[in-house]
Amino acid sequence: MAEEGLIAIGAGIAVGLTGLASAIAEKEIGAAAIGAMAENEKLFGKGMILTVIPETIVIFGMVVAIMLLIL
Amino acid sequence: MSLPKQMTRVLLVGSRGALKDTIDVMYELESAHIIDFKADEEGFSLGAPLEASSEASQKLLKLRSLEKDLDLDTIDVKGQMGVAKIEEDLAATIIELEAEITGATESKNRIQGRVNELESQKNNLQNYQSIPLDLELYRDYDSLKVFTGRVKADPAAALKAAIPQYEFFISDDGSFIATFVPKAMADEAQKVLSQFGFAEVTAPTGNGSPKEHLGKIEEELVTLKSGMEDAVKKLDNLREKHAVFVKAADEHLSIIVEKAETPLRVGTTPYTFAMDAWVPSEEMPKVEKVIAEKLGGRVHMEALEVMSRREAHGHEHEDVHEEPIPTKIVNGNTVGKFEFLTRLLSMPKYREIDPTITMMITLPLFFGLMVGDIGYGIPFIILGLIGLKKCKSDEWRIISTLLFFGGIWATIFGLFMYGEAYGLHFATQAEEMSWSSLLGVSLPSEFSIGGFDIPLGIYSKLHDVKPILYISLWIGIAHLFIGYCIGFYNKSIRFGLKHAIIERFSWLLILVGGALLLLYLVDAMIIGISVEMTDIRLIAGAVMIIVGVIMAYIGEGSGAILELPGLMGNVISYTRLAAIGMSKAGLAVAFNTIAFEVLLAHEYEIAGSNNGDMIMLILALVIFTIGHLTIFVLAVLSAGLHSLRLHYVEFFMKFYEGDGVEFKPLKVIRKYTTENNGVSE
Repeated sequence: MAEEGLIAIGAGIAVGLTGLASAIAEKEIGAAAIGAMAENEKLFGKGMILTVIPETIVIFGMVVAIMLLIL
Repeated sequence: MSLPKQMTRVLLVGSRGALKDTIDVMYELESAHIIDFKADEEGFSLGAPLEASSEASQKLLKLRSLEKDLDLDTIDVKGQMGVAKIEEDLAATIIELEAEITGATESKNRIQGRVNELESQKNNLQNYQSIPLDLELYRDYDSLKVFTGRVKADPAAALKAAIPQYEFFISDDGSFIATFVPKAMADEAQKVLSQFGFAEVTAPTGNGSPKEHLGKIEEELVTLKSGMEDAVKKLDNLREKHAVFVKAADEHLSIIVEKAETPLRVGTTPYTFAMDAWVPSEEMPKVEKVIAEKLGGRVHMEALEVMSRREAHGHEHEDVHEEPIPTKIVNGNTVGKFEFLTRLLSMPKYREIDPTITMMITLPLFFGLMVGDIGYGIPFIILGLIGLKKCKSDEWRIISTLLFFGGIWATIFGLFMYGEAYGLHFATQAEEMSWSSLLGVSLPSEFSIGGFDIPLGIYSKLHDVKPILYISLWIGIAHLFIGYCIGFYNKSIRFGLKHAIIERFSWLLILVGGALLLLYLVDAMIIGISVEMTDIRLIAGAVMIIVGVIMAYIGEGSGAILELPGLMGNVISYTRLAAIGMSKAGLAVAFNTIAFEVLLAHEYEIAGSNNGDMIMLILALVIFTIGHLTIFVLAVLSAGLHSLRLHYVEFFMKFYEGDGVEFKPLKVIRKYTTENNGVSE
């Protein structure tokens, strides 16, 4: 029982912290991308690509969490 | 999947007298992308605009100012006019319109000015209204100082203490005062008043009681307002009557100006001109024929070079020595709708494949996989169809197209792979609530056509996480494989097979090797089958990766090694296909549980044992609707954006460079005008 609880907490931390990390990284890039887009709308594509790059962090976190839960 | 249209660079040379005709012919042909002349060639200078330009520009300037007065930009103008009619009426109508519109706008502005003036007088007078003094009593004293203004509190008591002689009035609501003190005491009075937040208001001019003045102002305001209405109505009428003409004339004049200014992009000498342009190779015969027919002998056209896709390797020299070759991409009607998304990222280069068609296939597929629910899929299809019928702007059309095709995939996956609608499975699995238990019928989990069993739901998004994650990894590997293959093709036509092999085939090897290792690792670590170190998958995978890395290192330098973890990240990034499906399923289960298990006390074991009453049923349905509407909207945002991101970031990075220049031929676009026969331009 105790072990299950620890696994659940571990999984939660994995998703939660990586989510926060992605958010912090994306916040800065996103703000800059919007600023660039305000000057030149054609930059949308590049802005979006750069903005979503840190999202991979939380995907890694999610994979770790799922592996913790199902292995 | 196709390369952009092949281009031929042509040079047109002729006498200057033939320049105008040449430009007209080029506009008719609609197949020449002019290369702007750079004024650095000896003996050549930029051409001067044709004569028509200055007159047309002047008229256009007047028209634009009329358009502004009429507020034409805010309304949707429908209708068309013949060019001949515009030419005929233009001069007279502009003069007439100018007089009428200027008159109407001026009177409107004048009235507006007077109204503003009166309104401010009125506001001021309202302060004095409740003080029983006539207006002339506030001024022209030799020995008295008058204070009028707003206060925050009643200063009467303090004034009395400080000043022996004074006269004091306060308005009914206590916020406005008028006080009269001897000039000698003025400073003291000022001090006292300032303690009560006194803000001076200048007394209005005029004689008699403020009330009478207010009455007069009100009366004048009423007449002014009706005058204002007349002016606005007059402008509206003018707008209605002349909108089409003004818009059409604007378009007509713009076309004339644009044509007349084309010589600015052409190199000229005192007697000749030289026009440099790109023409799609397949249109060359037509262009040659038309030029020979219409300009016969006066203009000489020469095809300089048919541009090949090959270029010298070495990125630093790219496109420096030559003009960028414009990209003309051609797609069919359906694929063409996705062109918007390609352009949103960047125009493809002349020398690379237009990736639009790959987007058209996998973008809706991923969307459907993430949604994977027939309950959302069918509304998506309907919404997409409505959108395609009603919407005109490019943005909404692409969203509608994506919803339509994505909806079809979502329905297919929802029906066969997940077997669910609104987060509920058709058949009861693992003692869970399902449509079967909810409706009290027994829905099958598969059906058969002619001996083939077709399943209705193989996986459950929340219970079969492992297989779905595993599938999404393989989808990622397959998608990236396609990306590298396109990259291989691009590199081979641009730089030759050798470069393609070391720069792209190397990565294909690494990807396939990694895939083999994945198979091995899943067996070894997750399924737990005992595997040998001599397993063919391990050895082959490792060899492929090592060979691939060495090749990539030769081709791209040490950056290639840094990219290795990036590739792994790319593959893992595709697990979002599973993750977003899961998150939506989780939300759906939560809403379903609240609606049916909690409110309706529905017990899944006994089919049809709904023992809640009518109110609970309605409440449950309301929660069900709101909840699933939320998920529906979230699905568009998350599934749509993530699907797009997988393409832009993971997929395109494997082959796409972009930054091409769009092919923009000399061409006339008419919206409000129609060309009549026999009209000279």
